[in-house]
Amino acid sequence: MFGDDSEPAVVERDQPGQPHRGKVFAAVHAHVTDVPYYGAGLCAKLMREGYIGYLIRTTNDEKRGEGGPATNIRDNEAQHRSMAAVLGFKDVFDLYYQDHEMDAISELELRGRLILLFRLLKIDTVVSFNPWGLWDENPDHRVTGRVVEEASWMCAMRNDFPEHAEAGIEPRQVRECYYFCARPGQPFNRVVDIGSFVENKIAAIAECKAYGGGGEGSRLRSRLSKEGKRLALLGQDDRTADREYIRHFLLDKDREHGRPYGLAFAERFYYVDRRHSAMAKVQEYIERQAVPLP
Amino acid sequence: MRRRKFLGSATVGGLGLGAVAPAGAAGLQQGGAAGSSVLPRGVVATAYSNPGSRYNPFGTPDYYEYADDLVVERDLPTGTHKGKVLAAIQAHSDDVPLYCGGTVAKLIGEGYTGYLIRISNDEAGGRTVGEGVVQNEIDNLECARALGCQKAFSFYYRNHRMDDCAAIEIRARLIFLFRLLQVNTVITMDPYDHYEENPDHLVVSRAVESACWMAAGAKDYPEHYKAGLRAARIREKYYHARSPEGHNLVNRMVDISSYIDHKVRSNVANRGKGPAGAAGSRLRRELAAQGKRLPLLGEDDATADFQYVKEFLMEPWRRLGERFGLAYAEAFRYIGPPPDYRENVRAYVERHAVPL
Repeated sequence: MFGDDSEPAVVERDQPGQPHRGKVFAAVHAHVTDVPYYGAGLCAKLMREGYIGYLIRTTNDEKRGEGGPATNIRDNEAQHRSMAAVLGFKDVFDLYYQDHEMDAISELELRGRLILLFRLLKIDTVVSFNPWGLWDENPDHRVTGRVVEEASWMCAMRNDFPEHAEAGIEPRQVRECYYFCARPGQPFNRVVDIGSFVENKIAAIAECKAYGGGGEGSRLRSRLSKEGKRLALLGQDDRTADREYIRHFLLDKDREHGRPYGLAFAERFYYVDRRHSAMAKVQEYIERQAVPLP
Repeated sequence: MRRRKFLGSATVGGLGLGAVAPAGAAGLQQGGAAGSSVLPRGVVATAYSNPGSRYNPFGTPDYYEYADDLVVERDLPTGTHKGKVLAAIQAHSDDVPLYCGGTVAKLIGEGYTGYLIRISNDEAGGRTVGEGVVQNEIDNLECARALGCQKAFSFYYRNHRMDDCAAIEIRARLIFLFRLLQVNTVITMDPYDHYEENPDHLVVSRAVESACWMAAGAKDYPEHYKAGLRAARIREKYYHARSPEGHNLVNRMVDISSYIDHKVRSNVANRGKGPAGAAGSRLRRELAAQGKRLPLLGEDDATADFQYVKEFLMEPWRRLGERFGLAYAEAFRYIGPPPDYRENVRAYVERHAVPL
């Protein structure tokens, strides 16, 4: 489905128990705010349903924040780790490529690093930017999405970076991909019900205080207080103010994405399923058609 | 090892011209034996011509600059380097055999565990691209075997096109291998060799040079540590020049006399390209077709190949060695471990500190 209704998107709802137990996913984003806004609900859902999750950030986020490049790198690094902890990721990796300038890097080098991580962490599923996504003006998103897509299949090829095997890190196929619907007009074929995980999403956004709106509620509360006013919505403390601000002002898209499907909140993705190979079809045919030798 | 003061100063250098021919002379007789200098009085040569070879286009380079603390590295007892790891990194399967095969075999013979890393796919060295890639892959493995290496790696970047590669990606792969193999010492092309015409050599040597120190860093590729790898501390480097044109600073002459046969065998292993391989057996067959034979080439192909390489192709290292009183030698810019600055400061404090 490409943003129209020619083919209905699949609605992925909560699954009981831990159907994904034993599986591993990597959420690969460019900036500290990307996963919180585009896929925090999905990540929380996958981990609650049994996945182990790893979070990988490709840039150093130096351009956004309350200070100059140096303090922005430090603050966003800290907030990236706290955001990962809030969502329940097992580990977090920062690759620190220069923010807004990833179109100048060697994509091959980044791909080599991701292939190593996908093999090392035994990744089954990736969550990232759509490598073919339209209307994305951010070069970091485009490069990250494209390289994740390339790494996700090359990591299964024995002759790509064969030295990894020398270290006992074996090739491995990434079998499922969830690509963000990060910009209006980008394709999606899966709508994920995040109603049960909206608090996780709010908590993740709230950690993005250097930029990304995580501290807006408390800042607004402080400003109003100086003006002798208050908003009941923002409660009695900064934590409540930040979370309620996010809930009321920053989740409009998630509400809008859920509405056509009768969901309170939803995130949209372009989902790619690589679990069924041609060989599986052959095996199925053999099982159905093979007869004993005379 | 015996330190040998070679050129103490510019003035002394002028007096040393009898031992090594200055560049001025080479300008008139390039590639020839050391000749007389036509340099004006008071002008001191800064580069010295090598005698070159009558038989091998890929021998010693045309010039060397010599440091005034040049060292001759002689044989050390077996086991001296036990526990240490050597990585010999080459762009092409014939680089190490030609330019430093004797030293690689010597270091391994003295206890190093050696690894051979080839960066290109050597596709340009074969009848077809495909056949070249396959034959040179075999050659690289055989070369590693001849030198006593434990394992050979190939990265397969396209031959002669490595200036189109991302240097940072090659560096990342080398850092991975250096950490994985716990490399202590590298031997490769000199990244500052003048008049280097081959882009593969330039890219490889630069990548090795930067990978050497970054492999020790905590912040470069920290994901390697998650994979259980440990930082590699590379304390010694042997940089060699290429030929026929090359021009690097030499501060170490390695006596490879005891390992010349290893060097010969590693060159015989290079059958896909280069001047060695099966050249001896081919010559033997050609002569036989004309009803002749060379006693030098013996009675079988293996002997012919070995003897051809040793007699003809090893001549440049024989001639280089002769100048230093050695049977065979290879020349390097050697970079050794830095002084332990902190330990020196501590020692100074112990010697000089007084009570308050």
